[in-house]
Amino acid sequence: MAETHSLQDMRQQAAITAKVFIQRDYSSGTMCQFQTKFPSELENRIDKQQFEETVRALNNMYAEAEKLGSQSYIEGCLACLTAYTVFLCMETHYEKVLKKIAKYIQEQNDKIYAPRGLLLTDPIERGLGTLYSDC
Amino acid sequence: MPGSSSKSGGRGPSSSPLPHAVVPSSRPLRPSRYVPVSAAAFFLVGSTTLFFCFTCPWLSERFSVAIPIYNGIIFLFVLANFCMATFMDPGIFPRAEEDEDKEDDFRAPLYKTVEIRGIQVRMKWCSTCRFYRPPRCSHCSVCDNCVEDFDHHCPWVNNCIGRRNYRYFFLFLLSLTAHIMAVFGFGLLFILYHRQNIDRLHAIVTLAVMCVAGLFFIPVAGLTGFHIVLVARGRTTNEQVTGKFRGGVNPFTNGCWKNVSHVLCSSQAPRYLGRRKCAQSVSLQPPFLRPQLTEAQLAAKILDNGIQGDLHRSKSSLEMMESQSCDAEPPPPPKPELRYPGITRGNTEECSLLNKAPPTPTMYKYRPTYSPGKNHTALTHAYANQLSRGESVGSARDSSSSTSSLLQASQQPGFRSQPSLDRRETSSERVGGGGGGERREVGREGGGGGGGIPGYSLGGRSYPSFSDPTVLSAVASRSSSSTHTSAGTVHVSEATTTSASFKSLANQTPPPHHPSRNGSLSYDSLLAGGDEFDKAVGVSSVAPDVSGGRPCTPAAGGGYSSPFLSSQQREAEMQSQSTQSPHHHHRSSHHHHPFLHHSSSSTSSSPPPPPERERLLGEPHLPAAPAGQTSAPPPPHHHHHHHHHHHHSHHHHHHSSSSSSTSRPPRFAAPHAGPHHAYPYRTRSTDTPLGSSSTTHPPRSPHPPPLGKSLSYSSAAAAEMQYRLVRKASASAGANAAGVGGGGGGGMGGGGIQVPKDELMQMKSLSRINGGQPFSSTSTSSCSAPSSPCHPVNTSAPPRAACPSPALMLSPAHKPQGSGVKKVTGVGGTTYEISV
Repeated sequence: MAETHSLQDMRQQAAITAKVFIQRDYSSGTMCQFQTKFPSELENRIDKQQFEETVRALNNMYAEAEKLGSQSYIEGCLACLTAYTVFLCMETHYEKVLKKIAKYIQEQNDKIYAPRGLLLTDPIERGLGTLYSDC
Repeated sequence: MPGSSSKSGGRGPSSSPLPHAVVPSSRPLRPSRYVPVSAAAFFLVGSTTLFFCFTCPWLSERFSVAIPIYNGIIFLFVLANFCMATFMDPGIFPRAEEDEDKEDDFRAPLYKTVEIRGIQVRMKWCSTCRFYRPPRCSHCSVCDNCVEDFDHHCPWVNNCIGRRNYRYFFLFLLSLTAHIMAVFGFGLLFILYHRQNIDRLHAIVTLAVMCVAGLFFIPVAGLTGFHIVLVARGRTTNEQVTGKFRGGVNPFTNGCWKNVSHVLCSSQAPRYLGRRKCAQSVSLQPPFLRPQLTEAQLAAKILDNGIQGDLHRSKSSLEMMESQSCDAEPPPPPKPELRYPGITRGNTEECSLLNKAPPTPTMYKYRPTYSPGKNHTALTHAYANQLSRGESVGSARDSSSSTSSLLQASQQPGFRSQPSLDRRETSSERVGGGGGGERREVGREGGGGGGGIPGYSLGGRSYPSFSDPTVLSAVASRSSSSTHTSAGTVHVSEATTTSASFKSLANQTPPPHHPSRNGSLSYDSLLAGGDEFDKAVGVSSVAPDVSGGRPCTPAAGGGYSSPFLSSQQREAEMQSQSTQSPHHHHRSSHHHHPFLHHSSSSTSSSPPPPPERERLLGEPHLPAAPAGQTSAPPPPHHHHHHHHHHHHSHHHHHHSSSSSSTSRPPRFAAPHAGPHHAYPYRTRSTDTPLGSSSTTHPPRSPHPPPLGKSLSYSSAAAAEMQYRLVRKASASAGANAAGVGGGGGGGMGGGGIQVPKDELMQMKSLSRINGGQPFSSTSTSSCSAPSSPCHPVNTSAPPRAACPSPALMLSPAHKPQGSGVKKVTGVGGTTYEISV
């Protein structure tokens, strides 16, 4: 590689691969919630309100997934009665919500984050550990 | 089965090392793992089949056809739950991507704390899986995975029981109990009606089935009752057995009804492994908004030679991370996102340079300043990493050879005391964790030998006794048998882990000096008590940084500085603060938490002090450690220890009484019970004795390092040596003469810790110098530096390798209460006073 690259250029270009991590918020137990605190790294990149709104929406969806509602109860009973063979045919409530979340994230990326050079990654790929956005 | 036992022994310390080095997929086949599950399946299916074939026909004729139908349904339920519990992923966390820069793993603090409903919970760094374990997550050494909401590893289903399959396991227990009761009951009915022709085949078979059912009924019913209580309380087996919430508040409970409904009715949690990654079609098209870099930022970036990565980026991500109060997982190394092909990521070769520096645990990467010994640091660090890796992987065998070399390697000039401690501590902790995992396995093997045990292997270790009274009656007898075996095996591994922990300590080169918040995050957390910061006026590099606005300053949910101080701790720290900000205390104090019980429990020279430390490092629970550890005058932290020792309730008394004793283990922590209160999990009850003990401490010495654990000493020994080197360079002569004299004289007699390692001796001597702790003083005497008036009190064997280093020269430099004394927490919670 005989070509030389200006360090500055390289840095500016490579900055795109930086990751900003939004950590889990464990203040209410092991429920899957993410911190709505606006990371300073995104200070100039995106509107704080928008970011918080995104995270809040995600938190709501995760809360819905883990909710002990009638649907999950019925699902459990059905699974018991069928010796859990129903899991082969049906998608669980959680999985349904996860799909919803994935769609939501993609939609947010398309509309809001990609134009600003950010990318939200689905936390499920990281074991619901962190939500990170690639700068 | 000798054959299977030999194979099963393969996972013990005597067998080939590297349980963690083996990738799960290529793990060697261990037939012994399948024995219990095969036996369980055999008995279950076989007995029930016989029951259906021999007993049920007559029953259905004589009484009703509903009997076999009822039994059939229950049996089907049992089978279904058994299969689900056996084959379902318990909630395994995927391994975080391997950091390209492996050094980072050893720089991250071992623990991070989060606040859950007002209670401080500690998240430990898992060296195998490379992330901070979320709350309630634990690493199973049998499966070599971190499991979410880890309950236990059940050998009867040969699977971990975690979040996803706990419900099935619980229902399996319930249905199995019902099934056994039904089989036994109906078999009894059959026999009662066939008393005359009992010698018929049908009757004999029914009797045999009844015997099997009766035999299994007691442990199964006991286990079922135990789990019913756990579900009602909202605890996992792991938490119950390790006594995490004993006397405390369980932050994970939502009330009995909600707990039960959560277990039974919640939706099936998703699995994390093997998920299909759906390709997303978003494409990032430049140009997009990007903040203009200031000249300073550009200059900073350019100064960085690219290997360390983007300073700006890392710093901001570091700030971001610090501002976040918890790190469930360290961010993975930045890798190009393949999902978004449209994103222009620059030339790959350009990016690779910058990608080399993973953002986490990146705290240390981007320190503006670097110690003068950087070159040495890098060399030794790399060397240390290799060794440490080997350690963590599990080859903790030949400590002596590598130890000496490590000691030499670590004796590099220009090391900053704080960073080195930090690194060593983390690495040693990690190694300890890894070693603890090994030991757990060994324990499991020993425990598994006991037959009829309900098969609790918590992280591979079987816990002989449960604090829960409902279970004691059921499993006490079995537990005791397993305890002995596991205790024996534990010792074996403990010795190895000790060496491992020390090796990792020695290997750790002092990290670059991180004056700013970046540094604080890493070693601050490790530092105990925070006193060191108060007194570390002399440490110019540290002082300004420390007092500077750290990002991990408690602030609004930042880092883990504020959250984890209990009220008492904060008060103590506030009182003792001199110049440094309280944050240092906080940060350092919280790292005391894991080690508090260590030091407390093994002030005395119990035979396997390392295991204690290892255990504590590995998990916040204490196994059935040798009771002898508590016999010696324990340091004040013992009461922390007793919380972990749910088995040995008597330890509590030891600790409580000893906490007020004057002879304190050389704990470099500040006199204020700052670090002692550090562990928020433990309730206030433990804090109080600490407070009292701490109050008695100050008059004695400025920072009585409560190095109860010899193991912690050993791990800190290497750090000690490095510090001594630093001291030597900048030491003020005879600074600590007074302190040393007082400390040495006082602490010599007490403790009598029999440390198997030379390093431990050194550590002890150093701690003695600092604060006078019950240590064997031979090391001190033999290695006493010219300026340090060490007082050889004890007569333990002189340390082998300790002397070569100009170790004790540090001692004089330590001022009992000097302006220039800085306390740094070493591995195992040892606090060193470093005079600057």
